[in-house]
Order: sequence, then C-alpha cells, then structure tokens
Amino acid sequence: MVYKILGILCFLFLFWGCAFDLAHVSYKPAQFKPEPEPRITLIMKDAVKVEQAPCGYARTLLKGTRWDLIGTIPEGEVYKPKDQVLTVECSHVHEAYLVVSGGALIGFYLPVEKGFVPISPTIKLPID
Amino acid sequence: MKTLVKVLLLTLMVCGIASCATSGPKFTEMNVAKISQDPGQGRIFFYRPSSMGAAIRPDILLNNEKVGEAISWGFFYVDRPSGDYTVVTSTEVTRKCSFVLDKGQTRYIRMAISMGFFAGHVYGELVDEPAAIEELKGCRYIGK
Repeated sequence: MVYKILGILCFLFLFWGCAFDLAHVSYKPAQFKPEPEPRITLIMKDAVKVEQAPCGYARTLLKGTRWDLIGTIPEGEVYKPKDQVLTVECSHVHEAYLVVSGGALIGFYLPVEKGFVPISPTIKLPID
Repeated sequence: MKTLVKVLLLTLMVCGIASCATSGPKFTEMNVAKISQDPGQGRIFFYRPSSMGAAIRPDILLNNEKVGEAISWGFFYVDRPSGDYTVVTSTEVTRKCSFVLDKGQTRYIRMAISMGFFAGHVYGELVDEPAAIEELKGCRYIGK
C-alpha cells in the first residue's frame, strides 16, 4: 500500500514537472537605433512562409503587406508591419518585427524585449 | 436510480454552463468606437470568442494592473498611453503576451485556451483587426 502511494506521488511529481516546463523564445539583447522618419517601405510581392520561427510555430508574411524601415540593430535593418500583426511564440507571445540584411530575412526584432531572434537558414524576401 | 443520477448530473451541467454565460450587450449592438477618443492614447480590446474551458476565468493583468477577466464570449477595452505592454494570465501556469501600443492605434488581444495538465491554459494572442472584428461580433460587453 505504501509503495502504491509512493508510486502515485512520484508519477504526479514527474507530470507536474512536465506541465510547468515552459519554453521560451531565445533572443539576445539588441541595440536599436531608430530612424527619424520611415524612409523605406518594403512590399511583399508574394506570401512568405517562415517555417524556422521559434518553437516550430510557423509564420506567414502575407502577400502585399507593407513594412516600414523604423531603425537598425547591429545585425540588420528593422521593418515594422503596417497591415499585418506579426508575433513569435513559445509559451509566451511576443510582438515581432522583421530584421533584414542584404534583402534576406535574418530574424526578428522583439520591440518590447529589445532582443534579436535569429533564424536559420535565412530567407530571400520577394521585395523590390 | 441511474436515470435520476443522470438527470441530476445533466441539470448540474446546464446550471454550470448557464452561470458562465455572458449577459452584456453584443458588440454589434453597442456601436463601439474602434479608436480611443483621446488622441494621446491607444485602445486595447480584450475578448474571448469561445466556450471552451468556460469555467476557467483568469484575471487579465495589463502591465501588472488587473483590467478584467477572460470570460467566454465576453469583451472589454481599455485606453492607455503609447508604450510597451504585457498581458499576463495565470491558471496553472502564467502566460504572457507583449506588444507595443502607439498613439491612436488599436490592438486586439484574443484570449485563447490550450490544454493543460489539471486545467486549461488561457493566454493572450495579438490579432489582426479584420479577424478580431469578425470574432468580436459574437461577443458581449463585460467591461465596467
């Protein structure tokens, strides 16, 4: 009887551990330099599926959406969406902007956390 | 006897669901302004367009301040100055949703539910306006 109770307690502790094991988006702090005025707007000529977003939650950049250059971080230029909500998520949900370098999407900038989330491989964007 | 037990259980279930029902005016009946009347502020809508896990109604904290509860088929909104915001809901775990609010902007936070171990996890998701407006049509006002 005692062994049964101990077994049940161990089982519950194990599952308790699983239930509370939150996953977090990994990002590194990024020094953001704002642009005084948005001078460049990107337009997605086609939809882009980003499969390599954190925790396997794929994201799609919609065709025709506009993205304003709002600043830079050391890794690249930061573009904020004008007509699409973009987030990355694991257990928590974070608003995200695009980080672009040489016409390729190299990751996401988290404006609240002020962090950079790289993606690999990078994605050539269908923009002019 | 078995039939009696079944009837009692059914009655309890119906009462339970009824107690969770939302009773305010519908979004479509209210003519709610989508943007804040104060040009220096932005507006944040919170809504929960589902009956799933209706008995779980966690508090919604916006930058550590309680602004309401995540009630099934309910919605409310708050006006806030521009800045960084984090929405926190706690059930058996704490879930967060962070976003930026600009002056004159409106953000929409859908309260979704996912499976948990002992109870479902209610969490905020940032939603595009067209999708949010469609979902809000089925919700009733629960603000104060």
